[in-house]
Amino acid sequence: MTRSRNALEFKGRWLSITRVRVLDADLDAIRAQLAAFSRQMPAAVKGMATVIDSEVDCELAALLGELRAVGMQPLGVSEGPLAERARALGLAVLSREAGKATAPSADTAVPADPRPARAAAQPSPVAAARIVETPVRSGQQIYAQAGDLIVLNTVSPGAEVIADGCIHVYGKLAGRAIAGARGDERARIFCRKLEAELIAIAGIYAVAEQIKDGPRGAPAQAYLEHGRLKIEPHKV
Amino acid sequence: MTKIVVVTSGKGGVGKTTTAASFATGLAARGHKTAVVDFDVGLRNLDLIMGVERRVVFDFVNVIHGEATLKQALIKDKQFENLSILAASQTRDKDALTAAGVERVLDELVAEFEYVVCDSPAGIERGAHLAMYFADEALVVTNPEVSSVRDSDRVLGLLASKTRRAERGDGKVREHLVLTRYNPARVAKGEMLSVDDVKEILAIPLLGVIPESQAVLTCSNAGVPVIREENADAGLAYQDLVARFLGEERPHRFLDQKKGLFSKLFGG
Repeated sequence: MTRSRNALEFKGRWLSITRVRVLDADLDAIRAQLAAFSRQMPAAVKGMATVIDSEVDCELAALLGELRAVGMQPLGVSEGPLAERARALGLAVLSREAGKATAPSADTAVPADPRPARAAAQPSPVAAARIVETPVRSGQQIYAQAGDLIVLNTVSPGAEVIADGCIHVYGKLAGRAIAGARGDERARIFCRKLEAELIAIAGIYAVAEQIKDGPRGAPAQAYLEHGRLKIEPHKV
Repeated sequence: MTKIVVVTSGKGGVGKTTTAASFATGLAARGHKTAVVDFDVGLRNLDLIMGVERRVVFDFVNVIHGEATLKQALIKDKQFENLSILAASQTRDKDALTAAGVERVLDELVAEFEYVVCDSPAGIERGAHLAMYFADEALVVTNPEVSSVRDSDRVLGLLASKTRRAERGDGKVREHLVLTRYNPARVAKGEMLSVDDVKEILAIPLLGVIPESQAVLTCSNAGVPVIREENADAGLAYQDLVARFLGEERPHRFLDQKKGLFSKLFGG
């Protein structure tokens, strides 16, 4: 008897994966930093898919335990000193070139210094920008995960555009725009005609009522400066 | 190829049924075999506006439930014999419409007619969803005021995502803007949105502007689609609309304020 249906289906899929670079193998330092990071961005950390990238050898089993304790999901490690241990634990070992334009070579690796490690552990927006060519209509919601959102058309009143990175609207922005949705304070919002109902960056927001003295009807950009939302006319 | 055209809007009372009745009548008058279907189950109006309410025996829901054949339920128009009306049921609600049932009835209509016009109920719930789901083209009926425009925008979003064409990925539903109850005098005073305002917000091609007209109400009450009223602006505007839909180039009339006696006399 032949089966009419396949048991498996294979489909390509892009995932947003955060690279965790180990700069210092000291477990106490790692634990303290993970705790601080998950306090800072609890929603982002929970379920975050990660790949461990290390130039230094460390206790992989213990490191996995720490990552899982804060809710991260380590999927594998990059080729390197940890590869052997990872294989023993049944974890994926990924080549350094996979999904990355430039792999850090050993001589550019940053020496153990806890400060830059914080930056390295942040989810880096590496995904390509999501580009929307059609109008975003009232009631529609568009989310660009882990990257920028570019809308080449209008965003109608009652529509919502959200991005983990920046938002660019080349038509009129009359709906709601939420940039830095996972807490990236460097995210900005740009639009050719500002009529927005709401503008938010990394959780700091202003509604139309509060924007009314700003550059309404004109090209504008919004960004955070010392934790305050600035909405200014955009001139070049 | 038969085309299924939905007349929709989101908001109620903007002139969907008036537009569906006149549009279907206009297509038939130009020699196209046309059926017009009332999807507003529970609040049927189309049969009244088409003047056939006294000839309804079976309705759309009867056909869906297999209680009558399509042939039995279709009502032939008295003026144009290539125009048929499928009335909605007054005694049922919109849950009586099933996707499979609607598809079967539309398939049967498609086999026999050149144009199938679906008169959508207001709202974005089941009835409206099923009315637009199988459409090839859409007339989005909008009044020149903000809430109507916003609801139309919402409907345009649904047309782009929640239709059979969108789900199968075989091209988008072709959208046409129909601006009804347009009053140039009130636009000039800033009490209504202008054609350009609405076009800018909705960003779809304008098929027709129907001026606000007493004739629309009179015709509705008399059970005559307003397109048959040759002495009324609204009737002429619907004739232009049908001609444009069929590919003719016609300038938009009735966009400007009618000149009063004084301005005519003094060239104002």
